Amino acid sequence: MKSAGSLESSDCLITVSYNKDKNNTVNIESIVFDQFGEQIFEVINKSLQELNIKNVNVLCQDKGALDYTIKARLATALKRLEGENNE
Amino acid sequence: MSTKILYNLESLYEEIDIFEHKNISFHHHLRNGDFVLNMVLKKYLEMDVKELNLFPSSIFPTYTTILDLIKNDQINNITTNYLNGPVAEYISKNGLIGKLKMQTHGGRARSIIEGNNNIDIAYIAAPYVDKLGNAVGYKGKNACGSLGYAIADSKYAKIKILITDTLVEEVDNPEIDGANIDYIIVVDSIGDSNGIVSGTTQVTKNPVGVKIARYTSELINELGYIKNGFSFQSGAGGVSLKATEYIGEIMRKNNVIASFFSGGITKYHVDMLEEGLVEKLYDVQCFDLDAVRSISKNKNHIPISASIYANPNDEKMVIKDLDCVILGAAEIDYDFNVNVTSSSHQMLMGGSGGHSDTATEAKLTIIVSPLIKARIPVIKDRVMTITTLGKNVDCLVTERGIAINENRKDLIEKLKNSKLKIYTIKELANIAHNYTGIPKQLKKESKIIGMVEDRTYDIIDYIYKA
Amino acid sequence: MSRSYLFIPGNNPNMLQNLDVFNADAVIIDFEDSVISYDKDCARDLVENFLKKYNFENLEIYIRINDFESNDFLKDVQSTLDLNINGYVLPKAMPESIDDLNKLIGTKGKTIIPIIESPLALLFVREIASKDNLHGILLGAEDFTKELNVPRTLEASEIFYARSIISIACNAFNIDSIDTPFTNTDDISNLRVDSLKAKQLGFTSKSSIHPNHVETINQVFAPSKSEIENALRIVTKAKTELKGAFSLDGKMVDLPIIKKAEKTIETAKKYNLL
Repeated sequence: MKSAGSLESSDCLITVSYNKDKNNTVNIESIVFDQFGEQIFEVINKSLQELNIKNVNVLCQDKGALDYTIKARLATALKRLEGENNE
Repeated sequence: MSTKILYNLESLYEEIDIFEHKNISFHHHLRNGDFVLNMVLKKYLEMDVKELNLFPSSIFPTYTTILDLIKNDQINNITTNYLNGPVAEYISKNGLIGKLKMQTHGGRARSIIEGNNNIDIAYIAAPYVDKLGNAVGYKGKNACGSLGYAIADSKYAKIKILITDTLVEEVDNPEIDGANIDYIIVVDSIGDSNGIVSGTTQVTKNPVGVKIARYTSELINELGYIKNGFSFQSGAGGVSLKATEYIGEIMRKNNVIASFFSGGITKYHVDMLEEGLVEKLYDVQCFDLDAVRSISKNKNHIPISASIYANPNDEKMVIKDLDCVILGAAEIDYDFNVNVTSSSHQMLMGGSGGHSDTATEAKLTIIVSPLIKARIPVIKDRVMTITTLGKNVDCLVTERGIAINENRKDLIEKLKNSKLKIYTIKELANIAHNYTGIPKQLKKESKIIGMVEDRTYDIIDYIYKA
Repeated sequence: MSRSYLFIPGNNPNMLQNLDVFNADAVIIDFEDSVISYDKDCARDLVENFLKKYNFENLEIYIRINDFESNDFLKDVQSTLDLNINGYVLPKAMPESIDDLNKLIGTKGKTIIPIIESPLALLFVREIASKDNLHGILLGAEDFTKELNVPRTLEASEIFYARSIISIACNAFNIDSIDTPFTNTDDISNLRVDSLKAKQLGFTSKSSIHPNHVETINQVFAPSKSEIENALRIVTKAKTELKGAFSLDGKMVDLPIIKKAEKTIETAKKYNLL
């Protein structure tokens, strides 16, 4: 399990781990869930697709991060997860 | 009739029938440090008085006995100007047996004077009282400054009661006239001075806020308002106060002296009075101890009642001469309607106070707000709740630019060659959406739990259950 | 030429997405001191995603990478070479590390702003200023005085020599001379005093670590009203004079002075002062 980001305003903390059932799960806790929940799901799912990743659990704890931040935090968390695997 | 002095609430209820007088009022000058409201309402709770109608000028987070009464089905209606904290949250989610009516400071005073708000008993926390019932707010161990919001209650309620912890022989220049007062109740303490001074009265250091303040002062200056004799109101928000500081710099540079500042008064306004940058402060509410100290000794720092402040039918109304006001916004829409009553999640978290009053009267009304707050753009298609009508709002200043109400062709014309970043409000909203994406509209128009009444008595919007 | 260079912490989305609202002429997105060592990868991903998404006209953007000795130096450069930035701010710079950075940059069209922050580097200032691809030199007075083992003072006599020699070297090679940040964020009046001191020694610009400093810096390092007026008079008169040199207010005006006046007007136009 690896994380990236923070719980500061306009940031998000993304935690990823491998999913043994070989599919992706995405969970979102956001202070703007009602307004932007769907958009956050879409950003994360699209990123996973682009990276061709099919076996992770993603938890996004969001404090009003913009899309670029969510993408960046996800990318870092995934790289860290992969690094852990290679160690 | 002479004023009777009592030493506890029990003896008051031997004199008057608590079950007879269901419309009761309070003021909020002691803010979060107030002991009086909870002290009195605990009696209503103990004695299980039902069908109450409450008229507190505001409801603060510490006023939790109101919550107990609501949960116990003892309150029918609440009429107030502002509410925040657990009471606000509970009413948002559950409503009342009757309705929540949100008024303005001027509208409340007007309603009390004209008999629309029929108050049976006014419970008035009074920091410094003499035996005749004369009182001021700016002295005593729990001094709060001006008692502006309590004056109408002290004249027009059927039964007028002062509650104090400081009873003295004589009070000079009273704000509250003892001739109107029926009872004085002397208690150990009316409040905790730590909670009386609100924590928000600091100039902002947040760089986005500083930027907004700078733009605001430049806008007011370019529009030619900063000249000898001008009048101004800023409230106590950090950005408005920073803008006031910048306006002070412009005044010093150009040798300008203002005629008056009005409304809620802070250290920053007092400093400018003492420096001679402004001739008078008309103070309806002191926000900090420097303001309290100043009002007690400076004859040009004048306590005024809510009626003289903002009642449209009061011929002495101060804000009819107001040139410029800076106000905040939780939301603003394409028609410039402003919401400071509810959050973007439809939870009650404020109210007009003097927002709509001053916006209506001032020649120039400026709303200041960050364009984006934690991904939520401040500009909406339609605000959750209208606190102040867009026809009374002229400009929105954000860190990324300024929007001018299209109705103000004169302002747009004046700013034609300005170097300031002027946009239409839709353009400004598009700039925000470029960053945030388009938020989903959340407003639920299910059950009406209350209404917003303007100082005109018009109902300008409804409040829906969250 | 830029008047103000504002440092923006590289791993802080809230600051990053507002970097263009503070009126700085240039921003320096920081990967070094403001980013904790275990989050350097976070900052790189954040800034990459940010700069790929947003474009900024009229704003120079630099990235302060980690120093040449650090493990992050190479990653910082490689992950940002294709981004739309003006160049790099290089900490603890020495002539060799500038050469190495230039090799990495290759033909990517990025400039370098070395930070001189040690007595040894100061001894090499002339060589540093002469390097290819330099946009300017930044004085890092905090580390510099730490190595000298002297306290920083408001009077700033401890950096008088460093400021003088850096400003002269930059002027000689026609690059920006960027003064050290003023570290007290709330003391705007002494920020002004400090900025004026640097300007008097010939600095063209000042860096800042707080957005609230930018406005004062912009004011100080912009040409003053009288400078602009004077420049306008010189240029106007030069157009009507047939001779290369002429007299104005009893002072001789020749070609270098006319050129300088033209530059002042150009700068004034750039910053909306005309």
